[in-house]
Amino acid sequence: MEDILIIKDLTFKYNDNYIFDKFNLTIKKGTWTTIIGPNGSGKSTLIKIIMGLLKSDSYIFIDNMLKTSDNIKQIRTKIGVIFEHPDSTFVAETVMDEMAFALENLEMDKKEIQKKVKEVARFLNIAYLLEKNPFQLSGGQKQLVALASILVLEPKILILDEAINRIDYFERNNILEVLSKLNKEKGITIINITHDIEEAVYGDDVILIDKGKIILNGSKELVFREEKVFNSIGIDIPFMAELSLKLMYYNLVDEMIFDMDEMVNKLWI
Amino acid sequence: MDIKFNKVGYIYNEKTPLQKEILKDLNLEIKKNQINAIIGKSGSGKTTIIEMINALIIPTSGSILIDNCFIEKQSKIVNISVLRFNVGLIFEFPEEQFFNSTVEKEIEFGLKTFNYKTDEISKRVSNALKMVGLNESYLSRNPHTLSNGEKRKVAIASILVFNPKVIIFDEPTIGLDSNSKNNLMRLIKMLKNKYNKTIIIVTQDVDFLHKFTDYIFVLSDKKVILEGNKYQVFSETELLSKHGIGVPKTIEFSSKVFQIKDIKMGYRDEINDLIKDIYRYAK
Repeated sequence: MEDILIIKDLTFKYNDNYIFDKFNLTIKKGTWTTIIGPNGSGKSTLIKIIMGLLKSDSYIFIDNMLKTSDNIKQIRTKIGVIFEHPDSTFVAETVMDEMAFALENLEMDKKEIQKKVKEVARFLNIAYLLEKNPFQLSGGQKQLVALASILVLEPKILILDEAINRIDYFERNNILEVLSKLNKEKGITIINITHDIEEAVYGDDVILIDKGKIILNGSKELVFREEKVFNSIGIDIPFMAELSLKLMYYNLVDEMIFDMDEMVNKLWI
Repeated sequence: MDIKFNKVGYIYNEKTPLQKEILKDLNLEIKKNQINAIIGKSGSGKTTIIEMINALIIPTSGSILIDNCFIEKQSKIVNISVLRFNVGLIFEFPEEQFFNSTVEKEIEFGLKTFNYKTDEISKRVSNALKMVGLNESYLSRNPHTLSNGEKRKVAIASILVFNPKVIIFDEPTIGLDSNSKNNLMRLIKMLKNKYNKTIIIVTQDVDFLHKFTDYIFVLSDKKVILEGNKYQVFSETELLSKHGIGVPKTIEFSSKVFQIKDIKMGYRDEINDLIKDIYRYAK
């Protein structure tokens, strides 16, 4: 598999404090990676550097392009970021206009815009929201609209910055399902930055960072075997990972199983 | 301190085109010296309820009795300041309201505003600091440079200086990692056991609250649809799911087993007990 994001020897200082010191990171195309770390581990700084909102002179390759100050606009079209507070990014009075906004700025043909907006709305099951005011929606619906306004631009990488943090339980599951569909059907690379470990169950790979350093990196099946490492920095592993580890100890299952239905069916054949 | 809601209704922006009914005929009695939790989807009226307990908003119908203070729309509230001293409210992300340069100034701010005497202030500040488990060296530190968990402790201390009988936490676990969550849980338990406080927690984090809550109110459709201890509440998985509310992971698992395999494993809070059950019933 091809690498879509490569960060080499990233060093970043903030008021003489090193946030990152020779930090390296590679993300493979089409994967879903969860970046997890305690509060203050450097997660948000990392996104700002990738997006060029904070300056750094390190090598950052995105989709085979070396990021420089000249091509930052082009780089940004390849990455979509969804933040914790979607309200702060809304500009329009209807969801339709919100989704069309970026395309209008790119001077796309009106008919093309309509077509694109409708297509994305259908994919996310939010066609019924198109005439509504984005500010008056529920938290989960707002995040779907934020997601839709990014998807019309066809990004290669989607970064979630604590984006599902404050959303209701059932809406959260719906968004995670939608992301899963985007990842599998459209091949969009997903990077979910969060401190809620349960979200990692949905992805493929997990990166644990602390104090600007990668502590663990690999598939979720392997990473979550290191329960002690997680506990040592004050993080519990996901419920299903903990359950799997304990059942493996008693020889009741022989691998990590993250899906509850699958687990039940394995235990009671 | 008694807190009793009697047929409380609340209409937001009443008699305007924007009016919206948030609560309707709501009855609720907070359990004294216990840890109470109010759960429900966002927009179900949780925050409205806690703002009413602090008399920040007044019901548009029905009445509330808090200690000796009777609150209803028609009559003027007597003793409102006493009420507010007795009820401490810790908002969601309380650390976003910090505006002082040191922890000491942040914690003593409220007392100074109410003209407490200097030695009374320092006594109360050091007491509150001890209660939340921070030592005196924190007093001179800048609150903005603390970790999220520590920030939240400082915010809680700045409420504890008033020695409230009731402490309300609005979504206290948002933005906290597992370690800070466990510390917060210990702190809340201590406030109840050692200092006899009545605790009200408003949250969606069912995995957090089911470890130590005594009594739970489930809010949906503008009223309390279910109440009781955690066993009584969380065994109603179907009803809760119909109202968009999740259950703790251990319970979710046992109800999956029942759903798929028709095996009843009983209520388990701890993952180790769940394992024992699986060992007993599986294969």
